[in-house]
Amino acid sequence: MLRSDRWLIWLFLAPSLLLLGVFLYYPMIGTVIESFYDTSFISPDPRFVGTAVYEKVFASRDFPSVVWNSVVWTVGVVLLQNLLGFATALLLNEKLPFRGLTRALVLMPFVLPGVVTAILWRFMYDPQLGLINSLMIRLGALDDNAAWLASPDTAMAAVIFVAVWKGFPFSMLIYLAALQNVDKSQIEAATLDGAGPWRRLIDVTIPAIKDVVLVNIVLTLILTFNYFDIVWVMTRGGPRDATHIFPTKIFETGFGQFRFGEAATYGVVSIAVLALLVALYVLVQVSANKRRALA
Amino acid sequence: MTQPFTTRLILIACQALLALFVLLPFFWMLSVSLKPPTEPFAIPARLWPQDPTFANYVEAFRPEFRTYFLNSLIVSGASVAITVTLGLLAAYSFSRTQLTIITALMAGVVLAQMFPHSAIIIPIYKLMREAELLNTHLSLIIAYVSVTLPVAIWMLRGFLLKLPISLEEAAAIDGAGPVRIFWQVVVPLARPGIIATAVYVLIVTWQEFLFALSFTSTREMRTLPVGLNDFIGQYGIRYGELMASSVMVSVPVIAVFFFLQRYFVAGLTAGAVKG
Repeated sequence: MLRSDRWLIWLFLAPSLLLLGVFLYYPMIGTVIESFYDTSFISPDPRFVGTAVYEKVFASRDFPSVVWNSVVWTVGVVLLQNLLGFATALLLNEKLPFRGLTRALVLMPFVLPGVVTAILWRFMYDPQLGLINSLMIRLGALDDNAAWLASPDTAMAAVIFVAVWKGFPFSMLIYLAALQNVDKSQIEAATLDGAGPWRRLIDVTIPAIKDVVLVNIVLTLILTFNYFDIVWVMTRGGPRDATHIFPTKIFETGFGQFRFGEAATYGVVSIAVLALLVALYVLVQVSANKRRALA
Repeated sequence: MTQPFTTRLILIACQALLALFVLLPFFWMLSVSLKPPTEPFAIPARLWPQDPTFANYVEAFRPEFRTYFLNSLIVSGASVAITVTLGLLAAYSFSRTQLTIITALMAGVVLAQMFPHSAIIIPIYKLMREAELLNTHLSLIIAYVSVTLPVAIWMLRGFLLKLPISLEEAAAIDGAGPVRIFWQVVVPLARPGIIATAVYVLIVTWQEFLFALSFTSTREMRTLPVGLNDFIGQYGIRYGELMASSVMVSVPVIAVFFFLQRYFVAGLTAGAVKG
């Protein structure tokens, strides 16, 4: 397409822009508007109530627990997923037998549909029939059957574990690509200077891929905060709301109880949190580009 | 660089542990799907099926399951085709001009990737209700195209930026019009990017759950993830069947991914690493 074909540029863009406008940007604003109206199953006609719904939501007992759960969930998954992803990338960057095969197999959880992942692990966690208790008891790590998903003390950790299992291959993929771009002569120079593997990792490899690490962390932060299917299918937010995070709370309030106003209020808060994360992402990207321009 | 023997041994052991961690759940899913009805209830749980049988697969492939499968095929297939087409057109425009307004629009597209689906679903639901599209394939296709389009545009733009513009200029000198240049020069060259994007859209739409759960209300319209979720209640105790269904839901998308992995990994990492 050459410069003179400006009309064609707009013709090619129009359908995409129209769709995104109507089905992403308009709903984004729509959620904010919705949060100022109240509807319920009993009175389905929306009524303008100003910030009344916010006051109600903020004062409710559920709100602080949803915020806390979201923090635990997001920080836990992002941290573990990136650590495991990075360690795996380091391992599979070494010349080992069956490396290619392992790289391919490790990606399988990433492609396994979320609902299947959740159902499979729910069954793995089953107190009597599940593989986890049976293995742990046989290995001597556990004395008696534990009800991982049914106890408020362990449910969140159990769900985080599954999300990390499904998510770390994605982080690994990106870290592996970054590691393969690291200048090998620098590593060799460090080796000649007498640096051991640990020093090489800290002084050469990590500084070289710092930008990718940061972008990767912020991206998984955004994705994890918005996760719905694994948590919903495994626990429905339970037991006793121990695993309710923003997306599950929004779905339950909106489509389970038809309290659209309250669901939208939770939606607006989650959009605000996300705006913060996106700002962080932009900041990281801009400073990374600046560093690259200087280098 | 040569490593000491013990280091190498430790690394190989780590690799084996990693493979076990990743594959054990898959193995168990397969194993239970091959067990006769009472065997999943053996306590403690057994890893290998003692009496392997395909009966669960036959049982699970009931008419409802076939309906869900067909719905998923229709919705994912249409979403892949439409997203890739619209995405390629938009990405081409975004990659061949540097007008300020176009750059600003591209930023808007990148931003839209990050909108939380749960936070925007209520207005989309109401739009669909007013358009009387709830509980139709079309409502899901529209939603899927909208949410996958931003990433598709971003991925395809990365590919198109790397194509040499000189080929298009040469075709223009030969008298080819812009539409012909697009169709006969750009599209064939962009094929790896198109495949990578199609795989991405397939992975996302094949497993999409939130929209499918909210927009469909009858069994005739359900997609596989929603149908599978219903199985928990309906056939909760029949684990063999549940696992057999799970295998059948997963195999198509895993198979496609393995055949086209090369393209997908290249497409994803090119964008992520180069920023």
